Amino acid sequence: MPGFDFSNYNRNAALHARGVPLPKATSTGTTIVGCIFDGGVVIAADTRATSGPIVADKNCEKLHYIAPQIWCAGAGTAADTEFTTSLISSQLELHSLSTDRKPRVVTCMTMLKQHLFRYQGHIGAYLVVAGVDPTGTHLFTVHAHGSTDKLPYVTMGSGSLAAMSVFETQWKGSLTEQDAVNLCSEAIQAGIFNDLGSGSNVDVAIITKDKTTLKRNHIKPNERSKKLKSYAFERGTTAVLKEKIITKKELGRFVDIEEVEPEGEKMDVDT
Amino acid sequence: MVGKDCVAIACDLRLGLQALTVSNNFPKIFQYGDVLLGLTGLATDVATVSDLFRYKVNMYRLREERNIAPSTFANLVSSSLYERRFGPYFVSPVVAGLDQKTGKPFICGFDSIGCIDFAKDFIVSGTATEQLFGMCESLWEPDMVRLDLDFRTLFPPGIFFYMMILLKNGQLNHDVECSTIMHIICTSDLNFTNASYQSTFATGFDEFFANNLNLLDDLQCPEDLFETISQALLNAVDRDALSGWGAHVYIIEKDKVTKRLLKGRQD
Amino acid sequence: MADRYSFSLTTFSPSGKLVQIEYALNAVNQGVTALGIKGKPTKPLAQADAHANFLPTATNGIVLATEKKASSPLQDPTSLSKISLVTPNIGMVYAGMGPDYRVLVDKARKVSHTNYKRIYNEYPPTRILVQDVARVMQDATQSGGVRPYGVSLLIAGWDEGVLSDEELEKLQAGETSSDDDEDEDEDGNKKKASGKTGGILRGGPMLYQVDPSGSYFPWKATAIGKSATSAKTFLEKRYTEGLELEDAVHIALLTLKEHIEGEMSGDTIEIGIVGPPAHHLLGMEGVEGAQGPRFRKLTPHEIEDYLTNL
Repeated sequence: MPGFDFSNYNRNAALHARGVPLPKATSTGTTIVGCIFDGGVVIAADTRATSGPIVADKNCEKLHYIAPQIWCAGAGTAADTEFTTSLISSQLELHSLSTDRKPRVVTCMTMLKQHLFRYQGHIGAYLVVAGVDPTGTHLFTVHAHGSTDKLPYVTMGSGSLAAMSVFETQWKGSLTEQDAVNLCSEAIQAGIFNDLGSGSNVDVAIITKDKTTLKRNHIKPNERSKKLKSYAFERGTTAVLKEKIITKKELGRFVDIEEVEPEGEKMDVDT
Repeated sequence: MVGKDCVAIACDLRLGLQALTVSNNFPKIFQYGDVLLGLTGLATDVATVSDLFRYKVNMYRLREERNIAPSTFANLVSSSLYERRFGPYFVSPVVAGLDQKTGKPFICGFDSIGCIDFAKDFIVSGTATEQLFGMCESLWEPDMVRLDLDFRTLFPPGIFFYMMILLKNGQLNHDVECSTIMHIICTSDLNFTNASYQSTFATGFDEFFANNLNLLDDLQCPEDLFETISQALLNAVDRDALSGWGAHVYIIEKDKVTKRLLKGRQD
Repeated sequence: MADRYSFSLTTFSPSGKLVQIEYALNAVNQGVTALGIKGKPTKPLAQADAHANFLPTATNGIVLATEKKASSPLQDPTSLSKISLVTPNIGMVYAGMGPDYRVLVDKARKVSHTNYKRIYNEYPPTRILVQDVARVMQDATQSGGVRPYGVSLLIAGWDEGVLSDEELEKLQAGETSSDDDEDEDEDGNKKKASGKTGGILRGGPMLYQVDPSGSYFPWKATAIGKSATSAKTFLEKRYTEGLELEDAVHIALLTLKEHIEGEMSGDTIEIGIVGPPAHHLLGMEGVEGAQGPRFRKLTPHEIEDYLTNL
């Protein structure tokens, strides 16, 4: 990334000072967790995105691809988690191609923390980094200010306390893959049901030395029941004042068609 | 909003300076070839951003000698907005279009710093967001088709009633048909408890149904999508003092785009 | 400051030539031969592909091949690699100066991300990447203080295409040359051969050559380097439309054999193919829209297999 463009910064500060409300960024209120098992690592996330008290997306993806065997779960400002992970993913892919080696989880974690530290917490990405590389299985958390942790089980986001309560009561050393998936799912569900910022479904990614298995919507504990009645309107309900049909053929291939209102006063060319 | 093989995008027409209405003809939807972009927020940024993307889409077309795909455009919008992460445009865009290759509907929305919200049903944005969420959650249905009641005449009466019974009993599992025909059950006041149809038409039904699936294709799904999106928008903006003053609705189908101007309250 | 006092090495001679570029081409023409052939994969490959993508049409592919020459028997051959992956669907090979090539590979990979993937969240189509690489090479013919790159490249890639099946058919119907494009499959059904003959719109394989001047050309089959002329004559004789990818590999090896000095083995020959998505190289499952790389290098073992069948 060539860097950010700050050219609107002063204008926005001035607008804000005059009472224009700053736009709300989508945030992933979020419960995200990770847990190491014998032979790999599991990360899991809920799928709710919020904008203030509004649920902006009921089924968003919080598990981000970094490399085939390195994945990230993201909490915090949704755009920041999305773009930070994809930037690091891109850099790591180039690095991996030029060194002809598989990318390492520590490399990824180091790049993330350096990037986030540089922005002093203004990039609001809180991440769980997990993966398997030639040096073994790894699980880290990275905070927006650049600090990192390395633990056998981790939770982050607004639902982290609910999720951690599950780990602290049920976690044991040397889990099987299935145990780890179940434990992480339980932890996420604790977040879904007890934290307002988290909700909807459970996404899980299982990373082993052979492959990564992504289980999108692994558990759907909140399916909407079918409407018993249809509220659809009869055709012709809506009053239409004007209609215009633009066919594909009329759309030029290399020019924009801009509609010119047929009525309106004609400009006087001469008087 | 997504329909069956079509998408719709709609906006109101008000331009206001807080409580003062400046214009009642300020469209917020911009067409770039096959893709439509809706922009809500600060009017100066709506103008700037719509021009910026017209430039970017035209450059893309010249460079790649093809129209930009809706999903590609969505990523372009996203990365362009995120570039201004610390000095954003005050806009929340909405993108709608059909995939060029598969014809599949594509819609998504963004926050002002480029986080994409991929949705399979509907996207809302602007000052009436909360009202729109409520309207859309209640009105939107998958594969929007509201069958006209004369649909019944397409099937022989016995077959039709038998279908009703099967559906009511949950014995029919054709996905699309099931949801569409459910409409008839729900919207008509006929009594389908007559079990005698079951035995009478049980044998011929499957064959008939298999041969006549295409009947459903003749139905004008975009029409139903139009009613739904229009009513969702009109009723939502009526409860938002800052929105309204008429509306534009675009229905995008494989071979055409229909643009309609709606009659809305002018207060 | 530095560029104020520097000047281009490539200045026009009075006769209108840029001799530096011609010298660069001389460097290329002393390089080890590399070649590329467009073809389509054999039945099992095509079936695997059709199964993976639900594509009813046959899939085309490309072969890139070159000789890996060690200047001394003491050299460790495993460290040497002349065919490189640029994006999962695009690979390239060179003739000319190795160090210049490595720089170009790095730049090609980098621009594919900075100019494209980080903006559109997808990899560039082959032609766009070729244009980006060609721009890098052209810049070196006009900038101060630099010399042109002493390499020619063959860039092979696959594009997904944007036209729907109907549009493709329409496009094909409009072409008079497509009459002989029909395949007879096992059931005796007349089946239209794939309209995917390459390009951003139609999708399919594309093979480009890029020269030190920054000019580029699309080819069905071509060769660059020391024996380019004779190899091209050889390819002209052997090339047919609708070549199977398997046969294309054979022709590539036969062409190399005509001009090679040393012994041909899995260690002295390098082959890269653009074919069906290699799912075994993806390393993950359950990810929507994820596809294995179409470009991959053949292992020495696979090359040995082809050589024994030669």
